[in-house]
Amino acid sequence: MSADITPTPAGEATDEPKAPQAPDRRRPGIHRIRRVSQVLFLALFLTLLTLTVWPLGQVFLGAFLLADPLIALDSIVGEVWKPAMALAGLMILLPLVAGRAFCGYACPTGALLEWTTPKLKPEKPGLPKRFRRSRVPARARAVLRKAPPFVLIASGASLLFASSAYLWLDPIATVTRTATVLLYPLLDRFARLVADVAYLAAPLQPLVDSVNGVLTGRIVFAHPLTFGLTGLVFGWAVLLVGLNWLEPRFWCRHICPLGALLGTVGRAAVFGRRVDAEACIHCGRCEQICPLDAVRENHLATDTTRCQMCMDCADVCPTAAIGTSVRPAREDYSPGRRALFGASGLALLGGFLAYTGLARFERDVHLVRPPGAAGDASVLELCTRCGQCMKVCPTNVIQPSFTKAGPEGVFTPEMDYRVGFCDWSCNECGKVCPTGAIMPLALEAKRQTKIGRAYIDKNRCIPWADYKTCLVCQELCPVPQKAIAFTEVEIVNPDGLTVKLGRPEVVADRCIGCGVCENACPVVHESAITVRAIEAERSS
Amino acid sequence: MDRREFCRFVGACTIVGCAGSLAGCARLLDWSSADTRAAVRELKPSRPVPSTSESEAVETSGSTEPTSEPSAAPPDLASFVGDDPGANVRAAVGALGGMARFVRSGDLVVVKPNVVVARAPEFAVTTNPFVVAEIVKMAFEAGAKDVVVLDRPTGAVRNAFEVSGIAAAVAQAGGRVKYVADRDFANTTIPDGLVLKSWPILSDVFNADVFINVPIAKTHGMAGLTMSMKNLMGILGGSRGQIHQDFDQKIVDVNSLVRPHLVVLDAYRILVRNGPTGGDLGDVETPKTCIAGTDPVAVDSLGTSLFGMKPSDLAYLVNAADRGLGVTDLSKLTVLRGKS
Repeated sequence: MSADITPTPAGEATDEPKAPQAPDRRRPGIHRIRRVSQVLFLALFLTLLTLTVWPLGQVFLGAFLLADPLIALDSIVGEVWKPAMALAGLMILLPLVAGRAFCGYACPTGALLEWTTPKLKPEKPGLPKRFRRSRVPARARAVLRKAPPFVLIASGASLLFASSAYLWLDPIATVTRTATVLLYPLLDRFARLVADVAYLAAPLQPLVDSVNGVLTGRIVFAHPLTFGLTGLVFGWAVLLVGLNWLEPRFWCRHICPLGALLGTVGRAAVFGRRVDAEACIHCGRCEQICPLDAVRENHLATDTTRCQMCMDCADVCPTAAIGTSVRPAREDYSPGRRALFGASGLALLGGFLAYTGLARFERDVHLVRPPGAAGDASVLELCTRCGQCMKVCPTNVIQPSFTKAGPEGVFTPEMDYRVGFCDWSCNECGKVCPTGAIMPLALEAKRQTKIGRAYIDKNRCIPWADYKTCLVCQELCPVPQKAIAFTEVEIVNPDGLTVKLGRPEVVADRCIGCGVCENACPVVHESAITVRAIEAERSS
Repeated sequence: MDRREFCRFVGACTIVGCAGSLAGCARLLDWSSADTRAAVRELKPSRPVPSTSESEAVETSGSTEPTSEPSAAPPDLASFVGDDPGANVRAAVGALGGMARFVRSGDLVVVKPNVVVARAPEFAVTTNPFVVAEIVKMAFEAGAKDVVVLDRPTGAVRNAFEVSGIAAAVAQAGGRVKYVADRDFANTTIPDGLVLKSWPILSDVFNADVFINVPIAKTHGMAGLTMSMKNLMGILGGSRGQIHQDFDQKIVDVNSLVRPHLVVLDAYRILVRNGPTGGDLGDVETPKTCIAGTDPVAVDSLGTSLFGMKPSDLAYLVNAADRGLGVTDLSKLTVLRGKS
């Protein structure tokens, strides 16, 4: 047992195994390191996401998404290669060393779900707080314990059949999406409100102006940041946290596809928890405290597909029997071969049917994708639903799609020109996309990329319908030669007066579909000039 | 209740209290803005034109000597041509009596360039950053306490100020760019407004001791040309789209209330087609000119000549002259022309 690292000073308890005495002091060490590591990684994640604003600097943003092997796999299947995928390669090899240590030390979602799990009082002061074991009935637990391989199979089938919808479950994409849609709009409003209130005091005004100068275009925007699908994203977050009530870190344990992937590799981990069989008194405390359900009835063995190496078990072990060593005793709930084959078959069939179009979907003419999205199919195939493009967009035009692209397309990016427009000076969405669902375009190339075409509703356009002057669309059209032409006419209005005015018309060849016109159109309710997708020709 | 619980309780109460009071303040702000009638406000009065002796004193303190004889009263307009946009501004303002004629020690100076969208300076869509920087420098030289540069771009605000080069130029000159927010606009009465009777207008303009309008000269689909009078539309808040109906009349209405102390028209590069947002270098011409004056109507009238037009070609100029806001007849104005 020389390889064991026992966190206690060599125990008196080993001498009297029948009279266990809990150590009365919580030992520093791995426990504290883990907490610090979680906080630092979460802080790093939020810092990088906060810095994801126009203009993007040289900081390696989106590192968490790029390091996610699930997202890298998605890119590779879509034949998109990025140098940063080396990070993901490293990540997928890491479990060979220390199992799912990522889940316990680095994953922002894992940390948040751990901190939001309700805890019981510790058995004795000084010991770590305990989790309630489970509210799930024993039979359901037995099924749930076999869930991760099936989640992987379902994800794989989705991946093979050109849909990245499974990334809704990815923890990194989930936390990025949640922060983008909920946290930053909240920050925007909060900063705005604080500034408005502080502005009432005249001496504070220069200070407010200078702070506002730093925050504008980064946290505070000209129009308060706003996103669609907040209810859905919030509900999803509530669901993940709420599942903690059933079992601690329920989602990490049974559903997270990244955890399942890392765990599958981590089965063969060379380094892990090891129990001194002679010292173990089978009190079951380790089983009770394990946050990822990696220790079960056989306390001497560890489910290496789950162990995150937090070593909470070592902290509560009354006989200091638990340590770490190479070649841990393995135990895992491998589902039967028959079940695996059955599930694979089902998943393949489901994927095949979805791919070949079981349901009938017609492309919505109003579904305009950001510039660089190489077509609708490739967005559905590659998009991680992480929302980084929405985070970086300076005009807030990139919004999560709801039903326009079918159920698969929920939370994929679309352009909502009532909120913003594609700014001539910006091409950041392609740069932050971790998979190439939105390809990075050089600024000059982006300016020539047609994503849609504007149409004028002459029944509602002011100069056409009301015989009044208005040329806002032409005024703001950023295309050098102007995609809105206007013709001067002298015309008799319904009152019998002759009026002279310019009437706008769209020059289709020049229009790139940036939507400045639709965004600025002063016609109330729906704009009189609207952008339609160019790829949505009628099939009949 | 032990100590820890007590701390937790107090903490929770503090958070709830702060959130509640903030929300309350927000409601109050909302009510107060809904409730206020349009405020009656005016710009601070212009400084009197210095007498001859004063203007001499002024000019000795100014740095570059204009090519005018200092004994004469300052001309109505000064138009300078030269390869350095900054030097043109300095010469033109110098000819009017120098920045010291307008800015006194301790003044708060507000500068309004045209930063309509994010375009690089060579596209002649936004005011030349060297021109803005020179004005900031001159204002500080004349003793200004603070020089604030602001505009309300149509799109992403930071993009507009950074891509146009104005943010960097102003920071280098020691001034500060202010990104305006909704709280900076107050509903204001326009007593002489015919169409626009009241509208949210930027309060900073009225709070300033000196308000300097620094437009760029370019074509505009609706107004014909946009120069100093049209540039003032950028101090309006509210709905951008709504303001564009009966546009010419509204330009004149705004100018009837807001009369800048100094107008510096940047015509170093001008956009002769596809204004006001351009985007094609082929549409840009370079008269390398700067026109300064105190009467926006006169400045714009002289500006029309850059495009081979007459003041009578622009409806809002004719309208403004009819309403007595300024002079469009160039023969009635003294124009000092020179090279810097």
